[in-house]
Amino acid sequence: MSDHARNSVPDQIRRLSDELARDPSSLAFIALGDALRHARHLELALKIAQRGVERHAESAAAHDLIGRVSLDRDDLLRALEAWTTAERLSPGHPGARRGMGYVLFRLGRLDEAAACLAEAARTGDADAAAALARVRALLGVSAHANADVPMIELEESEADHALGPPPANPLDRERARRLFAEALGDGNHTALLLDANGLVVAGAYVTEDGTDVGSEIGGELRGVRDEAERMSRYLELGSWKSVVFETDVATVAMAPMGEEDLLLVASDQSTPLGLVRRVTERCADRARRWLAEVA
Amino acid sequence: MTALRPTEFAAMLAALTRHRGVLGSLVADAAQGIVVDASLQHGVAGDAVAALAASLYRKARLSAGAAGLGAVSFLRLEGELGNICVMGAGDLVLVTIAESRTNVGLLRAEMRRAAAALA
Repeated sequence: MSDHARNSVPDQIRRLSDELARDPSSLAFIALGDALRHARHLELALKIAQRGVERHAESAAAHDLIGRVSLDRDDLLRALEAWTTAERLSPGHPGARRGMGYVLFRLGRLDEAAACLAEAARTGDADAAAALARVRALLGVSAHANADVPMIELEESEADHALGPPPANPLDRERARRLFAEALGDGNHTALLLDANGLVVAGAYVTEDGTDVGSEIGGELRGVRDEAERMSRYLELGSWKSVVFETDVATVAMAPMGEEDLLLVASDQSTPLGLVRRVTERCADRARRWLAEVA
Repeated sequence: MTALRPTEFAAMLAALTRHRGVLGSLVADAAQGIVVDASLQHGVAGDAVAALAASLYRKARLSAGAAGLGAVSFLRLEGELGNICVMGAGDLVLVTIAESRTNVGLLRAEMRRAAAALA
């Protein structure tokens, strides 16, 4: 029996706290953060993890802890950011790959989730393998799809807790993903509907190499609506109608939707600004109707 | 109109501010949102405009980076009563504050020319 199993959680937290107090530079903060997380002291766990990352910025394990705590706090974007950092610091880090798989699952990006979980499962990570089986079941893919990934029976595990409830029905998800297809027409445009946290509600943003970067863009644009509102209010511009920016290769238009959401339309740089505006209006109409339907 | 101590940007800013409906223009540090020079009509808070415009421009740059869209050259915030236009020029931004009646297409072309001289 391990020390962890023998000691009660409060004892374990006390012991690890003492250890960290004696040597603040030790890596005991990782075990302490996890102990606090399991005891559902999530805010304290986050503080411990943040202090750990401040001292050990290059430690993948420290960022991995931030990811676990953030996932428990349902802060998906922060968790994804932490695990992305852990993966950068330690390529192939199983905790990071598994964690990214969990977050991508919760975001409804099942194909990408399956890819991350499969990589983690290849290292013998049983939780990742269990989660992978669940994701594949939702995708309708055989659990044997990759012969090198160990097959795990679906049973109650930490993965079930981390994965949380399954995302919306795949048909609904696909419908949301393709929401703007008709409004965008044949031109080289793409559109996303983001919520107040920058999470993708509908649409997709697929780059030339086929990667959907909607979540990354949403993360960067988190708060842009507040900023536009603040600017309009402060400068007495009335309600803000749109923010448009031009880059080397694209024109991006954003408009407020409902109380909290943000519509983003990106068009090829050669698209005249007036056309971008018309496409944005069409997408806004479509989003309004859809939001009314699903409300 | 109010003006700061004249700099090499003064003539260019004055020319932009003479456009119909333009309430002011300024050059600011893109990273800090600090005014470098400004030509503003009375009552326009240059410091606040610079800080808010640079902040929004930075967010646009970050999201463009995430999408692999390259550098942001021009940004426009359209409100019911007016517009804020921002043109990037290296580590500076050129900002104009304009009423809604302003011909933004013309202003954008003028700002592009001015920003090319700034960079």
